[in-house]
Amino acid sequence: MLKLVSFVSAVIIWGLLSLTLPPEIFPGPIETARTLWGEIVKGDLWTDLAMTMLRVVAGLLLALILGVPVGVLMGLNRRAEAVLDVWVMIGLTVPSLCYAIMAFMWFGLNESAAILAIAVTAAPSITINIWEGVKNVDTKLVAMARVFEASRPAIVRRVLMPQIFPYVMASARFGLGIIWKITVLVELIGRPNGVGFKLFYWYQLADMRQVLAWTLLFTIIMLLIELVILKPIERRIFAWRPQVAV
Amino acid sequence: MNPAIEVASLRKTFKGRDGTSRAVLKDLDLSVGAGEFLCILGPSGCGKSTLLNVLAGLDKVYEGQARVSAGRVGYLFQEPRLLPWLTAEQNLDFALTGCKVPASRWDELKSRYLAMTGLSEYRDYYPHQISGGMAQRLALVRALCVEPGILLMDEPFSGLDEITARRIRTDLLSIWRETRKTIVFVTHNAYEACFLADRILVMLGGAFRHEMRVPIARPRSYDDPAIFELSRDLIKAFDAEIGREPVPSAIPANEPSLVDDLDRHAAARMNI
Repeated sequence: MLKLVSFVSAVIIWGLLSLTLPPEIFPGPIETARTLWGEIVKGDLWTDLAMTMLRVVAGLLLALILGVPVGVLMGLNRRAEAVLDVWVMIGLTVPSLCYAIMAFMWFGLNESAAILAIAVTAAPSITINIWEGVKNVDTKLVAMARVFEASRPAIVRRVLMPQIFPYVMASARFGLGIIWKITVLVELIGRPNGVGFKLFYWYQLADMRQVLAWTLLFTIIMLLIELVILKPIERRIFAWRPQVAV
Repeated sequence: MNPAIEVASLRKTFKGRDGTSRAVLKDLDLSVGAGEFLCILGPSGCGKSTLLNVLAGLDKVYEGQARVSAGRVGYLFQEPRLLPWLTAEQNLDFALTGCKVPASRWDELKSRYLAMTGLSEYRDYYPHQISGGMAQRLALVRALCVEPGILLMDEPFSGLDEITARRIRTDLLSIWRETRKTIVFVTHNAYEACFLADRILVMLGGAFRHEMRVPIARPRSYDDPAIFELSRDLIKAFDAEIGREPVPSAIPANEPSLVDDLDRHAAARMNI
């Protein structure tokens, strides 16, 4: 209920703010929704949306593949931590635009370069998240498992993984937030389609209705992923956790 | 009859940060008979947890001999150490799987010990849904389920409120009477030791300083004045020992994490 009220008031604030500028520069929610509906009816937005989604998902998967093992290694091994700390910091500091430019210059203006740039940008944040998580692993539970003669695979699967998994989940969500933003940027500078490409296209034509329509589309899709996919997964996996009543 | 535990000249030293080494266990000799209830009484940092870790096989770096010949070891930690993502029953299954207890015996073992501790109704509860005392009972069930020859207990009731702790102590004695497991029970509570044990060893600075048999007949009552008197004598003997030892702690004050570090080392040695 509270969520609905908050959502409605966000739309109202948008509508009120849009009144301060002419509609062709700052269209309100109704006009934006109408433009978006027009695009949907025309039907060619699905290609762009699908391409963006593909890049986001592939980028996220690759970022997790790169980021999680490094984070686990850093959490378990002091030496690896000391060596990789600086690398992660550098990786985190370099702006995502630089990664995108480097990827396109070195590997050409192609899909793999785009996905690589997306993944490399998001990986350091994921690594940091996992690293913190692994450092917090309760070694007392590991000692307990060893007393009860649990095999090493069993300890990894039943004792360590459940402790690390919340952090993987958190970094996937967190990574997704970063990746959406980079993907648009990467599409803007180096891809012939996608939401980012469209945004830039309409920006060059100075059509703010279209720019906001595409932004709205993007936001709706993201919220849907959060609510329809990620939240239910989380609820299922962490069913054992106590419900916190605030 | 062969003793269940035999320890001879057991030495354990920790290297400090500055390179000096400190003896945490100093040439311990110990023999525990089968079916005996032994309490080791000492202040925190006296080395009693370290000794238990060696007996449990968690710590394999030591000099001297430590032999446990009564079969598998069941361990009750100071905290329940249940896996929070598993239900009560799944927690028991985890231990039963690890210890390779034949699946045909699981039901019987679980039912028996859950009934003894009054937890039969709570099989499907997660650890966070039961009280601290119940969680520790469940940990006791887990230790018993794997059919250990020996139970090692590391201040298992010190984190519980006194009333709950009393009840579990009484339960423990009746379980012990029925099963006749060999128990090594570490505590810093003299009264608890006098109530539970056949024999008490006072440990101080990494060595046993005093041995006492508990002459009180069983079954014992928690309010028996004889227990109170005995514990008073014990504390007196204890004070006398501390008077002789200017530094009573084997673990230096600037490294209070040494005991916890053991767990960390244990995990690190798995190389995962």
